[in-house]
Amino acid sequence: METTKLPPSSPSSPTTSFSVPSAEKVDGFPRRSMRRARQRRSHSSSQFRYQSSQVELTPLPLLKDAPVAELHDLFCKKLQQCCVLFDFLDCVADLKGKEIKRAALNELVESVATSRGVLIEPLYPEAIKMISVNIFRTLPPSENPEFDPEEDEPTLEASWPHLQLVYEFFLRFLESPDFQPSMAKRYVDQKFVLQLLELFDSEDPREREYLKTILHRVYGKLLGLRAYIRKQINNIFLRFIYETEHFNGVAELLEILGSIINGFALPLKAEHKQFLVRVLIPLHTAKSLSIFHAQLAYCVVQFMEKDATVTEYIIRGLLKYWPKTCTQKEVMFLGEIEEILDVIEPSQFIRVQEPLFKQIAACISSPHFQVAERALYFWNNEYILSLIEENCQVILPLVFATLYRVSKEHWNQTIVSLIYNVLKTFMEMNSKLFDDLTASYKVEKQKELKRERERAELWRGLEEHQERRMQMLTEAARNQRNLQERGERGDPPTPSSPQTAHSDQPEPKPSGASSGAGESAT
Amino acid sequence: MDAYKLMKELRVNYEQEVFYLPKETGLSLIESTTQDDSRISAKCRDAKVEDLWSLTSFFGYSTQTFVLAVNLLDRFLAMMRIQPKHLSCVSLSCLHMAAKVTEEECNLTPTDELIRIGQCRFTVSDLARMEKIVAEKLNFKSKAVTALTFLHLYHRIALSHSTDRKETLNLEKLEAQLKACLCRISFSKAKPSVLALSLLRQEIEAVQSEDMLEIAYHIQRHLKIADAELLLWSGRVAQCLSDYASPECSKPNHRKLQWIVSRRTAQNLHSYRSVPELPTIPEGGWDESESEDSCEDVMSSGEESLSSSLGSDAEGPFFPLHFRRQKHRQHLLHA
Repeated sequence: METTKLPPSSPSSPTTSFSVPSAEKVDGFPRRSMRRARQRRSHSSSQFRYQSSQVELTPLPLLKDAPVAELHDLFCKKLQQCCVLFDFLDCVADLKGKEIKRAALNELVESVATSRGVLIEPLYPEAIKMISVNIFRTLPPSENPEFDPEEDEPTLEASWPHLQLVYEFFLRFLESPDFQPSMAKRYVDQKFVLQLLELFDSEDPREREYLKTILHRVYGKLLGLRAYIRKQINNIFLRFIYETEHFNGVAELLEILGSIINGFALPLKAEHKQFLVRVLIPLHTAKSLSIFHAQLAYCVVQFMEKDATVTEYIIRGLLKYWPKTCTQKEVMFLGEIEEILDVIEPSQFIRVQEPLFKQIAACISSPHFQVAERALYFWNNEYILSLIEENCQVILPLVFATLYRVSKEHWNQTIVSLIYNVLKTFMEMNSKLFDDLTASYKVEKQKELKRERERAELWRGLEEHQERRMQMLTEAARNQRNLQERGERGDPPTPSSPQTAHSDQPEPKPSGASSGAGESAT
Repeated sequence: MDAYKLMKELRVNYEQEVFYLPKETGLSLIESTTQDDSRISAKCRDAKVEDLWSLTSFFGYSTQTFVLAVNLLDRFLAMMRIQPKHLSCVSLSCLHMAAKVTEEECNLTPTDELIRIGQCRFTVSDLARMEKIVAEKLNFKSKAVTALTFLHLYHRIALSHSTDRKETLNLEKLEAQLKACLCRISFSKAKPSVLALSLLRQEIEAVQSEDMLEIAYHIQRHLKIADAELLLWSGRVAQCLSDYASPECSKPNHRKLQWIVSRRTAQNLHSYRSVPELPTIPEGGWDESESEDSCEDVMSSGEESLSSSLGSDAEGPFFPLHFRRQKHRQHLLHA
C-alpha cells in the first residue's frame, strides 16, 4: 500500500488492524480473547496533526532568578514556548525540546501557585492561548470500538507528561487569589467552554478528573457562563441518551451537576425541574448506567432534598423506565429507590406507595436472587419500616400474596429466610390485618384449585366426546362402503330388518355426550 | 352427626380437659416473674408463642398444630423451671411434636429447616433430645383436648341447630381470635371449654343472633359452667379482642431478626453513601444577569488548594449583607 509522506513517527491509521480469521468468530463476532489481543498498545496520541518540531526551543532563564522588572516578560516568553507541541508516540524524538517544555510548564505552575502579583492583564490572553493550543484537539475514535468501560483498560493519552502540567497550570490559574473573573471572561468565553466540554469525552480518566475540577471552578467563578454551560451539558446528555449512547464523561459532568444542584436557590426554578424530568430521569435508560449511577442517584436525591414536590415525578419516572430484562440495572434501581425513600417525606410517600410497592412485589418474585434480596432488604431499613407501618393497610395487601407464593416456590434459601422476616414484621405490625389477608388468601387458593379441577374436567369431557365422534364417523364410513358394495354386486336390496337397520345406522346419540352430534357429523 | 351425639361428645371432652390443663401455680409463677435472666417471664413466653404462630403460618400448619403446641409448651413450662436461653429449643420441639400429631407426613417441615427459619442457635440433635424430654415430662400425652376442640364442637352444634342458614358463625375468624388470646399467658389459666364458650358468645353478640344465643345458653347449662366464671373470662376475652382488632399498627421489633444477604448484595449495599468531593456552588439570584462584576470579588476564592471548599453549605457569612438585599430586590422584580 502506498503510504503518504508522513514523518516516520506518525500514528498508524486505525483501519490497518488485522482481519480476524473466521475460525476465531462465534456467531459472526470475533471472540473476546481476540479482541483483547488487539489491544497491544495502551497509549495513543490524540494529535493527528502536530506541528513539526522544526522550532528549536532554547532554554530560558529561571523565573525565580528573574528580576522583578523582567518577570512578566519572561513569563510571557515561557508561555509562548509552551505553545509548541511534541509527538509522544515516538519516545526518542525531540527529547531535549520535550524536557525544556516540561521544565517551563513546571515553573509556570509553581509561579502561579505560590507567588502573588504574577497574573497581570496582558498575561491572560497568552495563558489562555497556551492552554487552548495544548488541550484542544479532536479526540480520535477509540482504538477499541467495543470498549467496555467496566472491563477494558482505557486508552491513555500519550502526551500526558505535558498535558498534565498544562491542566495543573490552568487549575492553579483559576484558583489563584489574583485571578480576576472580569478579565478572564473575555478569553474564557462560550467557544472556549464548548471545546472544554467536548474534551470530557476523553478516554483518559486522569484528564477527565482535571477537566471536572476545572469546569467546576469555571462555573463557580464566571457567572455569565453558567446558563450556557448548563445548556451545553443538557445537549451532551440528550445526545448521549437519544443518539449516540456514547460519551465517556457522563459521571464527571454529573458530579459537577451534583454540586450545582446542591446549591440551587429555593423556590426551584422551572428550568431546573425540567432538567430533572427531561434529562436526569431518562439518563437512567442508558445501557452503561453502572458507570455513572452513583453520581446520578446523588443528583436525584439532591433534587428531592431541595424540593419535595419533585418526588412524584422522580418515582413515577423510575417506574416507567424500570428495567425489564437487565437484572444488573434492576439492582441499581432498587438501590436508588432505597436512597430516595431514605429522604422522602411521608406526605409524598403516600402519593406513590401503590405503584411503587406493586413494582417491589414484582421484584420480590424475580427469579434472580440478587433482585429479590435487594427488594426484601428494604424491610431492614428503619425509616422505610416506619413509613410502611403508617400505611400498613394499603401496603400489606399489595405484597402479601407475592410473599406467600414466593416463600413456597423460590429456589434460594436465603430469600426464603428473608421472606419469613418480612412476614413476621408484618405480623407484628398488625395481626388482625395479617390474619384477614391470610384467610382471604386461602379462600382464593381454594377457588383456584376448584377452577383448575373444573378446567381439567372440561378438557377430559371434550376428549371423550372427540373419541366418540371419531368412532361414529369410522362406523358410518364402514356402513356406507358395505351398502355400496352390495349395490355393485347387484344384491337385491334387502328389506332392512329392524335389527340390521339399526346396526347399519350410526348411533343416533352417543351416550352422555351433549346434543349436537348430528350437526357435528356434517 | 345429630345433636344428641354432639352433646355427648361435648361431655366426654369436658371431663377430659382437666387432664390437659397446665398447672395453675406454675403459670402464676411465670406471670409474677419480672424480667430476669434466670427465669421465664410472661413477656418472654408471650413473645415465644408469637414466634410459634409466625412459624405455623409460614409453614402452612393448621391452627390445630399451633394450639396443641401452645398447650404442650404451657404444660411443660408450668411444671419445669427452665432458663430463658433454652426457651426457643423447648418451644420449637413443642411445635414439631404438635405437627407430627396433627399434620400429614408429607407436609412436615424437616427440623433443620425449622431451626434455620426460626434463626435458632441449636442443632437438630439438640431438638430431638429436647423433644424426648418434653414428651417424657408430659407423660406422652400429646393428643390434648384444647380450646380448639371445643370451638369446633360448638360450631358444629350451632350449625346443626341453626334454622336460619344465613347466620352462620365464621370458624376461621373464631380460630384467629383464639390464636390472639393464646398469645397471652393469662388465658392458659382458663378452662378450654370456658374460653371457647366466651369466644363463641363474643362472636354471637357481634352477629346479633338470638338463636345462637339460645344455643350458647344450652351448652353452658349442659356443661354446668358457672355464670360468674363465664362472665369473668368473657370480659377478659373482650378486652383482648378489642386490642387485637384495633387498626393501629404497632412498631415491630425488627432488631431481633437477622437479615442475612448474599455476599454480592452485601457488597453493593452501601456503595452509594459516598460523600461528594466537589464543594457546593450556590446559585445566585443575580446569576445570568449583568451584575456579576459587583460580586465577583466575593466569588473568587481565597488561599485555596484543590480540595478546599467554596462554602459548602451556602449558609453562614458567605454572602455579604448587601448581596442578600440585592437578591431580595431581584426576587421582587421577578415576582
